[in-house]
Amino acid sequence: MTILTVALKYLRGRLVASTLTAVSIALGVSLVVASVLLAREIKEGFIAGATDYNLVVGAKGSPTQLVLSVVFRMDLATPNIEYTIYRDLQQDPRVETAVPIGLGDAYRGFRYVATSNTYFAASPWRRKTFALAAGRFFADDPQSEPTYEVLLGAEAARSTGLQIGDRFYEGEEMAEYPLTVAGILGPTHSADDRAIFLSLPSYWGMNEVARGMAVKPLTAVLIRPKRMSDLPSLHRELNIAAETQAVLPSGVLLTIFNMMAVAEDVLRMILAIVGIIVLLYVFVSMYSATTERRREIATMRALGARRATILGIVLAECAALANVGGIGGIIGGHAVAYLAESLIGSSGLVTNPFRVDVFEPAVLAGVILLGTLAGLLPAVLAYRTEVAENLAPLS
Amino acid sequence: MSTRSAVVLREVKKAFPLRGGADLEVLDLEHLALPAGSCTVLRGRSGSGKTTLLNIIAGVSLPTSGTIRVGDTDPVTLSEARRDRFRAEQVGYVFQTFNLLSALSAVENVMLAMMFADAIPRRLQRSRAADLLARLGLAERLAHKPAQLSRGEQQRVAIARALANSPPLILADEPCASLDASTADEVLAIFLAVCRQDEKTLLLVSHDEAALGAADRVIDMAELNRTEARRGTA
Repeated sequence: MTILTVALKYLRGRLVASTLTAVSIALGVSLVVASVLLAREIKEGFIAGATDYNLVVGAKGSPTQLVLSVVFRMDLATPNIEYTIYRDLQQDPRVETAVPIGLGDAYRGFRYVATSNTYFAASPWRRKTFALAAGRFFADDPQSEPTYEVLLGAEAARSTGLQIGDRFYEGEEMAEYPLTVAGILGPTHSADDRAIFLSLPSYWGMNEVARGMAVKPLTAVLIRPKRMSDLPSLHRELNIAAETQAVLPSGVLLTIFNMMAVAEDVLRMILAIVGIIVLLYVFVSMYSATTERRREIATMRALGARRATILGIVLAECAALANVGGIGGIIGGHAVAYLAESLIGSSGLVTNPFRVDVFEPAVLAGVILLGTLAGLLPAVLAYRTEVAENLAPLS
Repeated sequence: MSTRSAVVLREVKKAFPLRGGADLEVLDLEHLALPAGSCTVLRGRSGSGKTTLLNIIAGVSLPTSGTIRVGDTDPVTLSEARRDRFRAEQVGYVFQTFNLLSALSAVENVMLAMMFADAIPRRLQRSRAADLLARLGLAERLAHKPAQLSRGEQQRVAIARALANSPPLILADEPCASLDASTADEVLAIFLAVCRQDEKTLLLVSHDEAALGAADRVIDMAELNRTEARRGTA
C-alpha cells in the first residue's frame, strides 16, 4: 500500500464523480490544445500558401480580397484584368516566373481555376510540390482549340468521385462544353486540393462572354521576380497603372494575422475563463469528497497516519485526475483539431492536426500542477481534520 | 499476564474549553495501571469519559495535565509526527462503528494500517493481512469491500486492522455495541481469543456480559473518574 494506491482506490471508489471531473479537465484542455493547434496550423497554412510568389497582380480593389481569392480561394474573385498584362509581365526581364490565374464558377462547390502548366512546375524556391496521383497534366492547348481537359485537386477528386476519362458539366447551359478528367493531383494540404484546374483556352471557351472578347480576361497574375531588388519597382509600376494593383502577399498576411490576433486575444480570455471554471470544478469536487470523508481521514489519523500522508493522498488524487484529464484533453484536442480541419478543410489551411507539438508536454505539466493546486485547499482541510471530534460514533 | 504495567496514568485530567473562557472537565483520574497482557474492561454511562480516556492513551488527544506511560513511551512528550508513529506501531484501535475505508477491500483495509507504521516490509504486507483475516475467519472475504460484508465481518476486519502491526496495546471502544447479540458474542469471543493468544494488553470499553465475564479486571468509570464521581454525588 502506498499513498498513490490509496488515492487511486479513492478515485475508483467514487468512479462517477472522478470520471466527470477528469472529463471536465479533458474538455478544458481539449479546447486549449485545439485552439493552439488550429491557430498555429492556420498561420502556417497562410504562410505556406502565400510565400511561393512575391507579388499578386489583379484588378484595382481590395488587396486582401485579391490575395484571399487568388491564393486561398476564400473570397469572391476580384474583377478581371486583360490577358495582355500577363503577356507583358512574361516578357518583363525582371520577372522570373509569371503565372496566369483565372477564377471561374464551381462544380459541386469545387472552383474552376484556369492557369498554365507553369503553375505546377517544380522550382527550388517553391515550398509546394505537385505530384500526380493519376493521369497527366492537362494539355497546354492553343487558344483556338481548347481541349476542355481538367486536373482535379485531391479533395475535389475524392468528393466528386470523378475518375480519369470521366466527362462532366454543371448546368444545362454547360452541356455543350463538357470537361474531361485528364489527371488527379496528390494531396498538397492547401486550397489547391479543392480546385479543378483547366487551361486558359478551355476556361475562355466555357464562358460565353469570354468567347466573344477580343482581349481575353484573367483574374490575376502571380509573379516571382528574378531578383528581390526588382520587387519594389515592379510593385510600384503595377500599382501606378490605371487597371492593376500589385499586392505583396506577405503584407496581406500581416493584415490577416493582425485581425487574427484580436480573435486570439478574445479566445485566450475565453480559454482562461474555461480554465478557471475547470479548476473550480476540481476544487468543489475534491472539497466535497474531503468533507464526506472526514471520518475516514480521522480513522487513518487514529491508525497512525501522519498529517502529511493525508495531505499527500488528497493531492495525489488531484494529480491523478489532472493527469488523466490532461492526457485525455491533449488527445481530445487533436481530435477537435481534426474535426475542425474537416469543417474548414475548404481553406486547406490546416495541414496536420495530429502533429504533436513541443508545447503539449508543457500543457500536461501545467494541468497537473494547476489540478494539484486546485486540490490544495481540500488537502489542507483534510490535513487539519480534528481526529477525536470526527471519530465520535454516528448517532 | 505479567506483573509489569503496559500502561500507567497518573493524575491525568482532561478539560475542553467552552465559549466564554470556562472549561468543561471530563476526566480526572488519580491512577490507572494496566498489567501487560491483561484484559481490562471499562464500563460507565455515556459521557463518563471512557472514549476520552482511550483517546488520551492512544495519543489521539492530549491530556490537560498528568503523566502517561505506554510501554516505555510518554506520548504526551512526543512531537506530533512521533506520536503518529507511536500510535501506528504501539496501539491498535477498534472503533464502535468499525470505521473501515469504504473504497478499500478487507485485505487493503488491514494493509492500510501497515502502511502507516512501515514496520512490516511491503512485500509481506498482503500475506500478513490475509493471514490475520484468515485467523478471524475471513479467508474467503479478502477482496470484499466493506459494503459487501456483514456488520460482524466488518468488525472482524477492523480487529485484524488493529492487530496488523502487532502492537502490544489494543484499545477497543464498544466494539460490539452496533452488532446484534449473537454476532456480538461471536466477534467478542474471537477478539478476546486472539488478544489472549498474542498476549496483547487489551483495554475494552464494553457493557457486554460476556466481556465483563472474560475480563481480568473491570473498572467502573464512576469510581475511576473523579469528575464522574463528583457528578454522581452532586
